[in-house]
Amino acid sequence: MIEMLSYPFMQRAFVAGLMIAVLASLSGSFIVLRRYSLLSETLAHVSLVGVSVGLLVGLSPLWMAVATSLAAAWLIEYLRSSRGLYSDSILAIFLSGSLALAIVIISLSGSFNASLFSYLFGSILSVSNDDLITMGIFGSLSMALLILFFKELYFIAFDEEVARTSGLRVTLLNFMLVSIIAVIIALSIRIVGTLLIGALMVIPPVAAIRFGMGFFKTTLLSIAIALVSVVIGLSVSFFFSLPSGAAIVLCLLGIFIVALVLN
Amino acid sequence: MKFAPSLFDVRNLFFTRQDNEILKSVSFTIPPGEYCAIIGPNGGGKTTLVRLLLGLEKPSSGTIHLFGTPQSKFSEWNRIGYVPQRSVLVDAAFPATVREVVAMGRYALRGLFGFESPEDKEAIEEAMALMGVSDLSNRLIGHLSGGQRQRVMIARALSSRPEVLIVDEPNTGVDIESQHRFYELLRHLNRTKSVSILFITHDIGVIAEDIHRVLFVNQTLLVSQNPHEMIRCDEMSRLYGNPSHVVCHNH
Repeated sequence: MIEMLSYPFMQRAFVAGLMIAVLASLSGSFIVLRRYSLLSETLAHVSLVGVSVGLLVGLSPLWMAVATSLAAAWLIEYLRSSRGLYSDSILAIFLSGSLALAIVIISLSGSFNASLFSYLFGSILSVSNDDLITMGIFGSLSMALLILFFKELYFIAFDEEVARTSGLRVTLLNFMLVSIIAVIIALSIRIVGTLLIGALMVIPPVAAIRFGMGFFKTTLLSIAIALVSVVIGLSVSFFFSLPSGAAIVLCLLGIFIVALVLN
Repeated sequence: MKFAPSLFDVRNLFFTRQDNEILKSVSFTIPPGEYCAIIGPNGGGKTTLVRLLLGLEKPSSGTIHLFGTPQSKFSEWNRIGYVPQRSVLVDAAFPATVREVVAMGRYALRGLFGFESPEDKEAIEEAMALMGVSDLSNRLIGHLSGGQRQRVMIARALSSRPEVLIVDEPNTGVDIESQHRFYELLRHLNRTKSVSILFITHDIGVIAEDIHRVLFVNQTLLVSQNPHEMIRCDEMSRLYGNPSHVVCHNH
């Protein structure tokens, strides 16, 4: 364990992973309670479009992923709230549409290689110092907003209509939440990968809810589950040379099954 | 001499959805302190009228004033408590304790960095005590009976210390005893706490003795300040368009 942490790439992976674990599980609690879990999966696929464009034109894939995820999140929320379309249908369209677009762009750029594989499934070797700085800036901002508006987002998850009549600016807060989720997903692709980040957002709160506690305690447990999974997943990834995202998600699944059996 | 403004002042309100005229030429005023029933056939526009009052729908034309202020400029939403239709149908697994749900009623008052103040705590405890749910404080909302959930939802609406409570047919999935207790609570709130009540109901017979005013909504609006005259069988039959019979009862 000590030896593992002596490597700079593992230090970076742990800093990024722990940051992502807290952000993903905290924001994931709100989308799970709103029956909007597929949003994380959809935005993860959209972020792959950003990655592929970045690889094609030689710009930072991470920044391009942030930009495309944000744009898609706003469009999805607009279509859901203002155009009265079914949320699950919108998400299904964006999910498959963005994956198709990403595959076409990747084919055009000839980027079917190890670099793409690390974006799909995560890699502990891929986190650079620049990535950490980007994650630090956007992660801190997202964390601050989630903590500041924690109670309002909780109220909206419980009863959006009554939250609106109580005077909360629900539309603005909904756009803020999907923006935060878009940013967190884009930041997570280095560690967990675009195809697996949805699990880090959804499984911790779903497992925590099984223990039948109030929201505050459920959220803390959800964060703890995500942190434990990231620590174990990254360690397994290091010792057995496995993709970090897959190791983390398998660990999450194990905890979920235990929660299901216990409750 | 200064007069308190009306709670609701609605003038010539029209609401159309996908070319269907849901409400037309609706005008009424509700002064403070009233216990007002909104009745009418299904699809007549009762819930739409309430949603318009609460700003959840935009009127096609007409004006709405809340506490003397045009709705578009109104910001003191804590003065209005709302218990929506089917509010008791909560997801059984939702991770929310009774206290957390009641506390939601204070969130809009707490502001950005707002931690729970002594006043918040007092209002939450008071609302829970009034609704008789203090002993359920740490129970999950999804684990309660329909009647208990209903009282929690009213406690949430009351925790902001509103001047008017809007209740939309809240008795779905609630047993008879809890319904009776619910009507007693509304009467108590109106008579001893001076909370105005706007109550959408199909069962006007059970609150006939309490109400001051009836709004009959069936696209258009008929207001009666003499509810006892309005709920006469012949009048109700005329309004509903088929033979109707009002039974004043305590269940």
